[in-house]
Amino acid sequence: MTKQTAYEKPIPLKTQDNHEYWDAADQHELKLQKCSACSTFIHPPGPACPTCGSPETEWELLGSDITATVYSYIVSYRPFLPGFQHELPTVITVAALDADPDVKIMANIIECDPEDVEIGVPLKMTWVDITDDRALPQWVLARG
Amino acid sequence: MSTYSNQCAIVGVGENQRSRKSGTTPLHMALTAARNALADAGLEAKDLDGIMNYSTAGDSCPSHELATYLGCHPKYVKDVSGGGSSTELLIADAVALIEAGMLETVLIYRSMNGSSGEKVGRGYDPNMLQEMLPGGSFIMPYGSASPTQWFGMFANRHMHETGITKEHLGHVCISFYEHAQRNPNAFLNGKPLDMETYLATPDISMPFNIHDCCVELDEANAIIVTSASNAKNCKSKPVFIAGMAPRTTHSHVHYWTQVDEVAADHAAAELYKSAGVKPEDIQVASIYDCFSWVVLRQLESYGFAKRGEVGDFVAAGNLKMGGSLPSNTAGGMLSEGYTHGMNNVLELVRQLRHDYKGTDRQVKDCELGISTGWAGPDIAGAMILRN
Repeated sequence: MTKQTAYEKPIPLKTQDNHEYWDAADQHELKLQKCSACSTFIHPPGPACPTCGSPETEWELLGSDITATVYSYIVSYRPFLPGFQHELPTVITVAALDADPDVKIMANIIECDPEDVEIGVPLKMTWVDITDDRALPQWVLARG
Repeated sequence: MSTYSNQCAIVGVGENQRSRKSGTTPLHMALTAARNALADAGLEAKDLDGIMNYSTAGDSCPSHELATYLGCHPKYVKDVSGGGSSTELLIADAVALIEAGMLETVLIYRSMNGSSGEKVGRGYDPNMLQEMLPGGSFIMPYGSASPTQWFGMFANRHMHETGITKEHLGHVCISFYEHAQRNPNAFLNGKPLDMETYLATPDISMPFNIHDCCVELDEANAIIVTSASNAKNCKSKPVFIAGMAPRTTHSHVHYWTQVDEVAADHAAAELYKSAGVKPEDIQVASIYDCFSWVVLRQLESYGFAKRGEVGDFVAAGNLKMGGSLPSNTAGGMLSEGYTHGMNNVLELVRQLRHDYKGTDRQVKDCELGISTGWAGPDIAGAMILRN
């Protein structure tokens, strides 16, 4: 009998303000909050627009074909949270969306050699099923 | 805003013996630091009418408790959840309350078992940031739980844009370690650092190795602020608060959607205006140094070197004794110890009082100093002190 390995890393906590983002992620889609007054994307999502203060916000579905570029990144050689000890070094990036470079989405760059990562390289969003009903957005290097 | 007009002064500073394992509580350590600051000022506990403290995730003891066991009953106690700009921000609060006539003498402290207890730098409880902080759910699932990682994201982008190298980070560390060798109370006294060793040390989280990170210890520090008129009654030489600037930027704490600007960029102009001085007037500095790069970034913010020239500025030895801006002259948090910013202010006060006169630790004849607090890229608090 094979024993299923439990997912050890922190699972995104859904809240009143952010659940639309994570619900979409579970469906392998990117959905971003947007200010209805000034049309600025709000990420991470919240109870109002940090740009203009408007409480009127909406959600925009960007779909599953999401590309970006590395704006900055780090390579961590030590785990600071449970689960990451199995995947060292860990690459974490702040990636600028091609659709709107002012939107920066933090995630790991998975399945990569850290040596291949540098500022400006293109990325593609992928979703990793981490439990039966949850999926985590991640980045992979966009090849060729 | 009017200038601070030197109406308030720091008249006492004190600390406990820093260590890896205090074997005692933040209350005990804070009592030692407070008593030492009172003795330094020649004041008694009953002279305090305000006590303020900052902490992170409840790692300190409340001001009222400290007052109880100092045996005094101040009018006003205040405990804030704060970061590395809170020393400056609480001093600003004290100045405002003193200038308003509400208080006369305020003790401000930071006490933390930063090594044996809660550790700021080695990762928080996995669920704490998610549950308590806006944006926490967007960083924790990716393993980003340490300031080395958060600030590293800023550092790597900034280094990419400005040409700052790993060697430049090393020059910051080596400069401060050199100061620690003259300070018997520095935790890394007796452990000098050279560039070869620095560059051979593997990264914890790029671009930072262990030398780029502050030394987390069990420490307590205290500072006493009083009115300029009352300062005349104190035993110590007063160090006047000449200027102050608080500033926030960014929408969130810990999820920084852009990694280009820092709050210090916006604090600098108001700081110099409030004191009526320019960067080139500053003779001694306390630059917040939780990480080496944070020093480089603030040197740019506060106008000590132009963007793109900061690396050369530190490589030329300007942060060392005899340089144009001797900084963190007790060793800084990189090598003296980490009291969340306050120990660098204690050292700045001692330099401006010329406590080290006649030794190789004294920045000769210094009259004007700067202290820059950094709670993160998002919150700054800086002040200018003069003797």
